[in-house]
Amino acid sequence: MKNPTTNPSSSMIRTRFAVRFLHAMKKLNKKTPAPSPYRRRFHTIRAAACASMACAVGPRKAWSRAILKKIRARTLHHYLINKSRNQQMMMIKRGNPRDEELAVGFGYGEEDDLRGLVPGGEGMGFCRLLSETAHYIKCLRAQVQVMTNVLDHYSST
Amino acid sequence: MGSEEMGDRVFQHRNSSNILNCPSSVMATTSISDNVAGMSICSESMFKPPNGIDPFYSSGWDPVISGDQSGNFGNSSMVLQNEFTNPNYPVLLENQTMGSSSHLVHFPSDSGLVGMVPKIPSFGSGSFSDIVSSFGHSNFPQNNGAGVQNAVKNVEDPQDHRQDSENGVLGASPNGKRKRKNVEVEKQKDQTGDTVELQKEYDEKKNVGSNSRGRQAVKEAKDNSSGAEASKENYIHVRAKRGQATNSHSLAERVRRERISERMRLLQELVPGCNKITGKAVMLDEIINYVQSLQQQVEFLSMKLATVNPELNVDIERLLSKDILHSRGSNATALGIGPGLNSSHPFQGLPQGTLNAFPGTAPPFHSLPQNLWNNELQNILQNGFDSSPSVGSLGPNGLSKMEL
Repeated sequence: MKNPTTNPSSSMIRTRFAVRFLHAMKKLNKKTPAPSPYRRRFHTIRAAACASMACAVGPRKAWSRAILKKIRARTLHHYLINKSRNQQMMMIKRGNPRDEELAVGFGYGEEDDLRGLVPGGEGMGFCRLLSETAHYIKCLRAQVQVMTNVLDHYSST
Repeated sequence: MGSEEMGDRVFQHRNSSNILNCPSSVMATTSISDNVAGMSICSESMFKPPNGIDPFYSSGWDPVISGDQSGNFGNSSMVLQNEFTNPNYPVLLENQTMGSSSHLVHFPSDSGLVGMVPKIPSFGSGSFSDIVSSFGHSNFPQNNGAGVQNAVKNVEDPQDHRQDSENGVLGASPNGKRKRKNVEVEKQKDQTGDTVELQKEYDEKKNVGSNSRGRQAVKEAKDNSSGAEASKENYIHVRAKRGQATNSHSLAERVRRERISERMRLLQELVPGCNKITGKAVMLDEIINYVQSLQQQVEFLSMKLATVNPELNVDIERLLSKDILHSRGSNATALGIGPGLNSSHPFQGLPQGTLNAFPGTAPPFHSLPQNLWNNELQNILQNGFDSSPSVGSLGPNGLSKMEL
């Protein structure tokens, strides 16, 4: 069975993601080279992977929008933490209503799990959730492939 | 001219081209140029204080808005009577309205037409989106409607005015109201954010209990059929098959179920190893497992990347080309090499496709000869990564020969 991800659209996504991710890695390696704490690098790399995937997809899909929103809120959050503490933090936490309260599940246990897995999956109907999941799976697969290749390249040279 | 300036400010959205063209097209195409002139003059009087409420607006619209055009009734009605002579009136009506932006539909009797009665825009207040939304009817050609909807979106908060328009046409045909709601929602689905999703969910839930014609209107909007139909029949008939219930509820349910099963089929193709599975629950379980495993793989990979220290003078271009070519290789080995890589692997329970795409510290793949690699390179240079996946990676040694 041929690998279904070799159609043009997924290779586009893969290219876009690869470019962004590599730029982020470059920047990261300049700032904090490998011997420094792995934990911090790990978190940054994971965040960079998610962010570059979301940017590569763009705001067309609900899950990428959710990721971008989360990241922007978090960077704003960090920024304001550095500036001043109390009130602004509270405002941000309140003012970014994640749609957990608005979840409309139909009572399947698995469906709620799926909503928890797919970013931004809380506030949409089941049908929409399924199409978002399909696209998300495609992009996750592309992400894994690219990161594998990057890792191969780094470890071999 | 004042109205055109206001129009330009309103129509700054990216899809505003068809609307910006409308004023000129109105001037050019309609045969009622004297009335149009009258309209443009009348549009300046939009911001007059309300002189009274036309009884036609008794369906609960905002009195300020409706009262603005009380002085313009004569002109508008004449204009629109001219327009309603042919069955393709929605298109012309839209052009007319968008061009002059001070229209009134003055036909009370016909239910389909009543659904299209616009509110008068007073820029800065809420009703422009209502005019548009009342034309966002399924009686309306969809590309125009999308453009109009897009233009509106920038002006107002869409959610408030969607509800406004819902209230507004309560007195009019319920079909029209539901259709408009669905069509608006369908069109704005991809454009606004969570609010639209919530509204759509809300609408979907409402429409489960609605009559079948509402659901059919949604189908129609999706099918892109436009308004050359008769004024009252604005929807497609969903024919019940032999032996199926013809209840309106079950029709709506069936449409929904078909959509869901279609998506499930798509997902079945995406998730490897799910061809034999029938049944939603098992399928959902598989999907959830697969998504979880993919996310875990990403985490694992990022952990490994954190420990690796690359050379600092890595060229992005070379990396990229190697990446894409590498990815061809990993696809191939997913097909070819198989079980040998699985044993040292932490993700045991997964189908082979994913495992083989995730070698970690696995040895390089010596699979395919170099002439295939040549073909691959040529193809990539020509097509931009569209070639067949059957080429293997030759590992770093092979690559170092091949690059440049």
